[in-house]
Amino acid sequence: MSAETPEVVAVPGPEPLASRFSWAEFVAYFRGSWTIGKYTWREGMRKKTLIGFLILSILVIFGSSFMTAFLTQTTVGDAMVDIEAKLIKDICITTISIFGVLITIFISASVVPAEIENKVIYTVLSKPVRRGQYLFGKFIGIQLIVILNLALMGGLFFMALYAKQHILPTLLLWSIFLTYFEFLVVSAFTFAFACASTSSVVPTIAGLFIYITGHLTEYLKDVYNRAGQTENPLDILIGKIAIGLWHVLPNLQNFSLRHHILYLQPNDPPRDVLFPNLIAYGLVYAVCGYLIAYLVFFRREL
Amino acid sequence: MSVVIETHELTKVYEAGFGGVDVLGLKDLNLAIHSGEIFGYLGPNGSGKTTTIKLLLGLIFPTSGSIKILGRKDIGSAAIRRKIGYLPEGAYYPDFLRGEEVLQFYGQLYGLRGKDLGSRIDNVLEVVGMTHARRRLVRGYSKGMRQRIGMAQALLSDPDILILDEPTTGLDPIARKEIRDILADLRDQGKTLLISSHELLEVELISNRVGILSEGVLQTCGTIDELLTNRDVLIHVETPPAAALEKLTNAGVEVEDRVAGKVILHVPDKLSVYQALEICRSENVALTSVAPRRETLEELFVRVIGDAQKQEELP
Repeated sequence: MSAETPEVVAVPGPEPLASRFSWAEFVAYFRGSWTIGKYTWREGMRKKTLIGFLILSILVIFGSSFMTAFLTQTTVGDAMVDIEAKLIKDICITTISIFGVLITIFISASVVPAEIENKVIYTVLSKPVRRGQYLFGKFIGIQLIVILNLALMGGLFFMALYAKQHILPTLLLWSIFLTYFEFLVVSAFTFAFACASTSSVVPTIAGLFIYITGHLTEYLKDVYNRAGQTENPLDILIGKIAIGLWHVLPNLQNFSLRHHILYLQPNDPPRDVLFPNLIAYGLVYAVCGYLIAYLVFFRREL
Repeated sequence: MSVVIETHELTKVYEAGFGGVDVLGLKDLNLAIHSGEIFGYLGPNGSGKTTTIKLLLGLIFPTSGSIKILGRKDIGSAAIRRKIGYLPEGAYYPDFLRGEEVLQFYGQLYGLRGKDLGSRIDNVLEVVGMTHARRRLVRGYSKGMRQRIGMAQALLSDPDILILDEPTTGLDPIARKEIRDILADLRDQGKTLLISSHELLEVELISNRVGILSEGVLQTCGTIDELLTNRDVLIHVETPPAAALEKLTNAGVEVEDRVAGKVILHVPDKLSVYQALEICRSENVALTSVAPRRETLEELFVRVIGDAQKQEELP
């Protein structure tokens, strides 16, 4: 059946990147995002893989206190307590890093592709919800999950350490705080990959790659330094690429207080750590990752 | 009746990546769906039905052509989306939520809060007949109940237009009838419904107009009465003697079926019914009934799609 010819033939496109907001619209925008965020959090916390990771990490952290019982009693008094505490710290920091980042990558990589697969995204985006609002809601939900898991693991570590040394391990709180910013960066870039994918496999691999390279960026500087020692043009080129990558890639080692925790007293203040700079550093990278996600998703055909 | 959904030369080409072949999703679609009608949108898998729906919802973007919904061209805007309720095919509703919690989530996306949201949820649950199960977890719902919750979320904003993708697929006959009744009620309330479906009988029962799509091209579109013409006649007779049957078959009449001492004779439209009846009279064959048989939507669908495929195969 032929429709009456419209006077203008206009091709509808995506919503404008930015449009003028009134205060009420601004509030409505964040309310909508918060609704989606809460839903993402509630659903995410029920994912079996995530629960599995969480239980496993809690068991390891909880078990670290008992593992020290198997240490050979070659030292006495405070020295023994120190060795035990160091072992607990070592196990717990590693556990939080590994399981924390696995949970972060898993959840960041899966929420958007899963919603495309089960078609929830169609029912949500057919409502008066902007794509940016949806994406922001999803990101909020992911962060709520990451924060809750980190708080649970960190809380247990805190208790285990306090039980061993009877000193409030305030340094640990600073460490967990910075670890969140490390996870935020990994999460934002994994999320950007997830927004371009229909399955969670590629974003998961990308997330692991970002985490691993983020911890190896110092080696890039080594490559640059060594490349400068020869006159070989290829070496110089490799050196330039390495230093370029060193400038672009996030250095996730910056967020680690591992050595402070291992070798300082639990209630020592974190020395030589510029917290505001590190927070700004993490936020800049997280915003970059999120903006990439937005630009990808904004024009994506669903 | 005013036109509610209108497309003009709407075309969608899915661009393939490196070295791939572009896929034509929809070609020059001209469609006009009127206020207060149920429009059945039919076609085999991959014919472009879902592409059309996604274009109407602003989930994908057209390659060329235009769309107008309620006279507006800002497809995908919040104002338009408030006027459209959408039920996707086989949508998932979180198992861990209760029926009313699912609706609370979707209602909040419309900006509904507090008492407004509560009364709206009460209303839509009543419309879809799910008030009794509102506090049950979705994991305990049957397929029909899930579909009705899906209908309820589509109705939350009291939309003027409902776009339903396979609303009765996979449901048992009772659940299908219930959904059909809900759709008829909604039409009676003045809502416009676009139903994409493979269930041709369901569509035939409730649609005012249908459009059949094949390979991204709208092959035919019109009211059920316009499209389904009387094509032939069936004559039910007591089992005739062999000689009479021979005369009838020689005249071009076909035996359609034999059931319990009765024979159903099929008189093709090109043959005179009177000629067949005259043979029956002269041979003393007892008549039970003579009835015109209208082509079913299924037959029309098969014919239209078959013709389209033949056309496609022509050099």
